[in-house]
Amino acid sequence: MGIQVREVSKRFGPHRVLDRVSIEVAPGELFVLLGASGSGKSTLLRLIAGLTSPEEGRILLASRDVTELRPQQRGTGFVFQNYSVFRHMTVAQNIEFGLRLRKVPRAERHRKCEELLDLVGLPGLGDREAIQLSGGQQQRVAIARALAYEPKVLLLDEPFGALDVKIRHQLRRSLRAIHDRLMITTVLVTHDQDEAFELADRVGLMDRGRLVEVGRAEDLYARPRTLFAATFLGSGTVLMGRMRGGQVQFEGLDLRVPSPVPHEEGSPAYLLLRPEDLAVSSVRPAEGQPTLGTGTVVEQRFAGALRRVRIQLARRAEVHPASSPAPRSEGALVEALVPSQLPLPEKDLYVSMQRWHFLDPPPASLLVADDGRGPAGRLEIARYLARALEARITLLGVAADARHSERLGWSLRRRQRAMGLEEAELRVRYGNAATQILREQDELLSQMIVFPARARPMWLDRFLGNGAPRMSRTMSTVLEGARVPVLIAAGSGRALRRAVLIKGPDQNASDASRFLARLARPLAMQVIDLVADLDSSEPLDSSGNDLIVVAVSRRGPQGSLRIRPRIARLLAHSDRPVLLVPSQEPESSGRRR
Amino acid sequence: MSQIADASPAERRAPWRLPEAVLPVALLLALLLPLLLMPLSAVFVFAFRGGILAFREALITPESQFAMRFSLLIAFATAIVNAVLGTFAAYVLSKFHFTGRGALNTVVNLPIAIPTVVVGTSLLLLWGPIGLLGKALEPYGLQPMFTPIGVLLAHLFVTFPYMLGAVKPLLDELEVTYEEAAATIGASRWQTFWHVTLPALRGSIFTGALLTFAHSLGEFGATVLVSGNLRLRTQTAPLYIFAQFEAGNLAGANAVAAVLAALSFVIFFLLLNQTRRTERR
Repeated sequence: MGIQVREVSKRFGPHRVLDRVSIEVAPGELFVLLGASGSGKSTLLRLIAGLTSPEEGRILLASRDVTELRPQQRGTGFVFQNYSVFRHMTVAQNIEFGLRLRKVPRAERHRKCEELLDLVGLPGLGDREAIQLSGGQQQRVAIARALAYEPKVLLLDEPFGALDVKIRHQLRRSLRAIHDRLMITTVLVTHDQDEAFELADRVGLMDRGRLVEVGRAEDLYARPRTLFAATFLGSGTVLMGRMRGGQVQFEGLDLRVPSPVPHEEGSPAYLLLRPEDLAVSSVRPAEGQPTLGTGTVVEQRFAGALRRVRIQLARRAEVHPASSPAPRSEGALVEALVPSQLPLPEKDLYVSMQRWHFLDPPPASLLVADDGRGPAGRLEIARYLARALEARITLLGVAADARHSERLGWSLRRRQRAMGLEEAELRVRYGNAATQILREQDELLSQMIVFPARARPMWLDRFLGNGAPRMSRTMSTVLEGARVPVLIAAGSGRALRRAVLIKGPDQNASDASRFLARLARPLAMQVIDLVADLDSSEPLDSSGNDLIVVAVSRRGPQGSLRIRPRIARLLAHSDRPVLLVPSQEPESSGRRR
Repeated sequence: MSQIADASPAERRAPWRLPEAVLPVALLLALLLPLLLMPLSAVFVFAFRGGILAFREALITPESQFAMRFSLLIAFATAIVNAVLGTFAAYVLSKFHFTGRGALNTVVNLPIAIPTVVVGTSLLLLWGPIGLLGKALEPYGLQPMFTPIGVLLAHLFVTFPYMLGAVKPLLDELEVTYEEAAATIGASRWQTFWHVTLPALRGSIFTGALLTFAHSLGEFGATVLVSGNLRLRTQTAPLYIFAQFEAGNLAGANAVAAVLAALSFVIFFLLLNQTRRTERR
């Protein structure tokens, strides 16, 4: 009596609410779909019940394909958030409704009803008018009603969402008890993490139409594979480091940790630290204990036997504070749990790691930021690159405000087709372009961000000469913030045969050449290096190359990424795509490292 | 002095003042008396001026008997047909999404805005001997105008929006999950409608039917054109009253008018009662 959902997709207008979702619920299992509102979890549940139908994919109940069946024929019990008990009927009539439709004899009906009333904890209330009951009781009636005709599966859509906390807890316990008694395959949808942890045999975590991760609650909490699971569940800190010579290094921290999860050299690696994984003390930890450094307490919260302490680390690191959309905070802010009685000084605290967990390397993906203007052909290069990197493409449009976002969504769908990117995922956000692109990147952790070169009408080119800079403010903010290569797509989509890597004599550009090598291999692209003085005013000759790659270094260890004058000129004049790779090492003025 | 100091604030008020409500209430009554109250009572006063016997006399003439019975019959028929038709229309307009739904929604409510005399004329133009449909029906000997069927058609048209207005808002409010719950339990669309949706609508269907009945009972403008005002064939009570007035038979007119008014009062109180009951739910 299990449930299998295979590669199911569902679209509402331009918006994809479910994107090739597959789940398998074992017979007798209590499976919880957890996600924020709008993640598609309710839609998935309604698809299983047959209340909506998918565009693609199959749904199997007890190994029978029910995709084409109407809800009446599927034999599912469904419980709604708003109870939806039939108002003009008594409690017993509500419960017996399904049996009456199936022409079950009266005595049998009555026996079943009494049994169910006992089961859901409402004995003797059969003769009451259903709407005279309290919300919690009504929901119990709804559960009994859904169970009356012995459905194959029980589906509950945020069943306790409209109830107050105390009743909610009672009902949760009742539901678990009912499930354990009947061992009926159950899927429950909720946005409440505690509810999921308390009830579920397994949790399926949903985000924006995708099933991100599935597992036992303990595993999802302690050993998540994705950044989404790590930050959506519980609290903690995610540190971003880079793989260097077999160990993960964290910028700004004296920390090298070997990773059990394989990562490619130079690629980012994400380390999850739950508050209980950190030890805080005023004395220097023993040699060999991995230490994040020293920090200052910025906030303390009493939590019973334990105290939650937020500590600002002294040195700068690239940190994702869990459950916060703004990852680039000034210093690393970490959260730790310490015993409440333990006296702690406010300053110079040593923070060391007792346990840690590395997330899986994010799946290869490409973020294409399209403004919906100019010829779509320029973005065709994204398709080549995605194939080379074996990456999925996310097409992102940022509208000025909510009002315009729908229109932008439709126009991006048209462009998507024109670019041959039907497979790409379409996202529309609104607000400041750079901020939204960075936010998307934080969730996606893509390998590269692609911008179309700024479109300019021909007559303006003739008037201005071809001299205006092609790098927009949005692009430079994204380059600075995302720390992944940014491609400015110009020219028509012609095959990539030869790439040139331009670097200054003071740069070692190892990240750039490594990234380029990764691209060049599958594309069979020839790569040449060009060392040039990047501060002179002479134009660079890049003709004959299909792709120009530039390493962008920062000025000084804390400085911002800087586009050197000769590169800026190149950007302004070139009609070829330019790939800007942010370099990890600071620019050493003249000195060789 | 000490007594005043001890008194509660209410007692400390000025010894006598006109209660605040007296003036506006008096004004309102003065306005309403000639507008509403006196006409209402005038019907009964004039009906019984000749004594109870004269009243009875006026009511048992074959014409008045026919007019009252015919009116009741038409009102019943209208209420029943429109209860079914209006509920069906409300269900379709509320539960199905189709192009032109908004336009259709407006059109079905139009009869409220159209003068009833205009309704009468347009029905004559459509169904009459020279009308579009009337011409097509003539060879078969069917002629709805100037017959009871014509009167029914006119009343259905005029009262259609009342049923819709009573039922549709409730249907719109009824949550989709209510029907979805029935569907997952195994009820077909028809079973869902019959066992779940319709019982929830009972109260408002009754209200709508009463409203329809009341309006049909008093309908004049469209009826007078469509019926041809034929004595003992198509003459409804309002038409009879008007005809008697014109003929100078005030007693006859007043007697029937009093009965009509009494009936209206009964319906009105039934409606009031029903509204209170639904409100309590």
